[in-house]
Amino acid sequence: MQAGSGRFSRGGARMSAEPNVRTLTINGEEISARSDQSILEAAREHNVAIPTLCHLEGLSEVGACRLCLVEVKGARRLLPACVTQVQEGMEVTTHSPKIDRYRTMILELFFAERNHVCSVCVANGNCELQSLTLQLGMTHVEIPYQYPQLPVDASHPRFTVDHNRCVLCTRCVRVCSEIEGANTWGVMGRGATSLVITDLKQPWGDSETCTSCGKCVQVCPTGALFEKTSVGNKVRKHPEFLPYLRIMREGEQP
Amino acid sequence: MPRTIVIDPVTRLEGHGKITLELDEAGVVQDATFHVTQLRGFEKFCEGRPFYEMPNITARICGICPVSHLVASSKACDAILAVKIPPVAAHLRQVMNLAQLIQSHALSFFYLSSPDLLLGMDAPVEERSILHVAHSHPSIGADGVALRQFGQRIIELLAGRRIHPGWTVPGGVNEPLSAEKRDQIIGMIPAASAAIQRTLAWFKQSIEKFQAEIEVFANFPTLFMGLVDERGLAEYYDGALRFIDSEGNIIAGELNPANYADFIGEAVEPYTYMKFPYYKPLGYPGGTYRVGPLARLNLADRCDTPLADVEWREFRAMSPKPVLSSFHYHYARLIEMLHATEKIESLLADKAILDKHVRATASVNNLEGVGVAEAPRGTLIHHYKVDENGLITWANLVIATGHNNAAMNRGILQTARHYVQGEHVAEGMLNRVEAVVRTFDPCLSCSTHALGRMPLAVELRAPDGSLIREVRRG
Amino acid sequence: MSEREKAMSELKTLATVWLDGCSGCHMSLLDMDERLIELSSQFQLVYSPLVDRKTFPEMVDVTLVEGAVASEDDLKKIRRIREHTRMLVSLGDCALTGNVSAMRNTCGPQPVYLRVYEQNVVQPQVPTVGVPALLDRVRPVHEVVPVDVFVPGCPPSADTIYQVLSELLAGHVPTLEGVAHFG
Repeated sequence: MQAGSGRFSRGGARMSAEPNVRTLTINGEEISARSDQSILEAAREHNVAIPTLCHLEGLSEVGACRLCLVEVKGARRLLPACVTQVQEGMEVTTHSPKIDRYRTMILELFFAERNHVCSVCVANGNCELQSLTLQLGMTHVEIPYQYPQLPVDASHPRFTVDHNRCVLCTRCVRVCSEIEGANTWGVMGRGATSLVITDLKQPWGDSETCTSCGKCVQVCPTGALFEKTSVGNKVRKHPEFLPYLRIMREGEQP
Repeated sequence: MPRTIVIDPVTRLEGHGKITLELDEAGVVQDATFHVTQLRGFEKFCEGRPFYEMPNITARICGICPVSHLVASSKACDAILAVKIPPVAAHLRQVMNLAQLIQSHALSFFYLSSPDLLLGMDAPVEERSILHVAHSHPSIGADGVALRQFGQRIIELLAGRRIHPGWTVPGGVNEPLSAEKRDQIIGMIPAASAAIQRTLAWFKQSIEKFQAEIEVFANFPTLFMGLVDERGLAEYYDGALRFIDSEGNIIAGELNPANYADFIGEAVEPYTYMKFPYYKPLGYPGGTYRVGPLARLNLADRCDTPLADVEWREFRAMSPKPVLSSFHYHYARLIEMLHATEKIESLLADKAILDKHVRATASVNNLEGVGVAEAPRGTLIHHYKVDENGLITWANLVIATGHNNAAMNRGILQTARHYVQGEHVAEGMLNRVEAVVRTFDPCLSCSTHALGRMPLAVELRAPDGSLIREVRRG
Repeated sequence: MSEREKAMSELKTLATVWLDGCSGCHMSLLDMDERLIELSSQFQLVYSPLVDRKTFPEMVDVTLVEGAVASEDDLKKIRRIREHTRMLVSLGDCALTGNVSAMRNTCGPQPVYLRVYEQNVVQPQVPTVGVPALLDRVRPVHEVVPVDVFVPGCPPSADTIYQVLSELLAGHVPTLEGVAHFG
């Protein structure tokens, strides 16, 4: 089975004379999908819900959050549906007690890894991480909280980044690179010490590449990135512009 | 022989404290201590947070008076932004502040103290709760529930939620008030006003039953402090700070609240996590002062709303000088509820209360800001320092109840000396020592309700530690 | 035994406790308004900040716990409560996650003591007489004792609390998974 990041790899001799349609089963139901679709795309087209976090319509796929893990018959491990291309005859299971347990554990890991205090967060009530706790039915965290000391960078005149609330989904990195083209956001470090950074880990307000377009703020799923004037429970993010911008830039259908 | 009595926990309080009484050889109380046994740490862990988060964070200091913190905090943030907020926003914040006063006073009077006031301090332990009062005195219980609900409903209509309503923000408020909601609030006022007046009527009649308590419930000279407006009348949102002495003389007035540190200092004692604010020119502990309903009624001879003004004058007529007995905090609370109800009505009568522009926006223009307002329990001070990006570098919070700390400690000593004597310790006596603390309606929300490994017990021990006799209750 | 006493003894027993919290969850409980009085015919409130009973009873059917475990006192208390309670309910985000109470965990208690008691005060000293020491880490309740029901919210709404209490009094064990979230 193929897994990969960015746009799906289309290599392999097998692909050169392929038909456009693949037939596979999802949760026992036979469906048809385009050959270049991911399991996630195929599932959503057929109203099969798979939870996601780092995925965002209009941005490339990275498989960073692992919430979309699904079972594929014959594979030894669970596979991330967003970066796994459909194959002819695939048998996919999107929900089972085992998968649900893993998904909940992943969510708990997010909460334990950093300092998510929903009650006082600017995104309270409008947060994808918080919505996932409802979706997956998580009310408490069994994994020990880490309480890392993480910075808040408020040097930019309009925006603030609070690393305590970041889930390292890298949507900010991707939108800044793929849509705005400024490439201000990047990732440094590894594993639990990873951090999204502006330029070469300089204060955001000192960045020479940032255009202050605010796209990163709009796509951030949590309260990590927000506008300074956002307070109270009225924060709304609007990433819907993305697929449109993508089409305009690349002439591609979303 | 000398012994120690521990009252642990003190019940029907917001938060938790315990009391220790030291008795000498002759069985006379020599010392009494009120220990606040919890510490949250807000002043430290807020460092590094963006200042505009402070209202929402500091709201979590207290679930009974989050509005007080939201208002004082927002005012401190206004000062950092260096904005003058739209007048309608100031009025809307005032409405919420007053609504909270009503709800919090209703909680204190009905839910926490009414068992003592209605059933008597010596009533059986199992009857001393609001749930019992709701059965034994159903109409009073219903009034209590309704009045607390009245205050909470106003907050809910303004802010969308009752507890931790983050609608008050730096620069103003988050949303304007709609005509429908304003009308809903106005519609609730007559019933609320009637309930308060009903309560005042029966309470005033019952005062004579408590002459003994009135005499010794923290009844001594202290200074009094609070906000007043330019006319010298009670002010809950803006105004200047004023100190009066127990004779009624203004010893310091028209003080800019932003300069509070010039005249208010804080002391630490080893036996309690709560600090002791004091009036600096008189030092500690000579500069002890009281805040809250009793102080506010003493600071002004009258008020500017008609029904409450009648009550206000009647209250002040009890004494030619300031009323000194802390028992009368209960009475003052009821009058403030009436005043607040009338004030809300007059604020909502102004058409401009529906104005849409409710928030001023700016960035950091001052690296320091102080916000002061009158909370139900007294003057509340929020003081922040920020860096040029607006991250908090230092925060100082002087909590309303804290100002009364010294008076509470002196109060339990006075009460205990009167009621705790010799070897015999009656249960109702212990309740009275707790009841004097209840008059202050302290908000020790940082404190906990301790469990009895040592329940409410009086242990009489010999000098060698052996137990001679034990009286338990509960 | 009188009729009323007999009826009372058959009621479920309820206790409420607050640890390191702000009492907002208790206020939300009171925000049930007259529904609290109605519900009270179905339970005996045997221990609570609202009543004067001073000892935690031998066995309580349902205990609602608000607040995180932050001091030595909290720790002793919650262990004792767990031992004497059938159904322990963690009420609100502080009990469930630590929430705001746990914000001091990134620096620990020492900087807190220093800031509060040694700076900007007269008679600087850290209080130690008759007050419990702060734990090094503020912890959610279930990190210390097993919990039966988790109710998220800061605070949980009065409607949620009404739902939870009603179900518990009817003998069911409610779950808030998928129903309520933090914050």
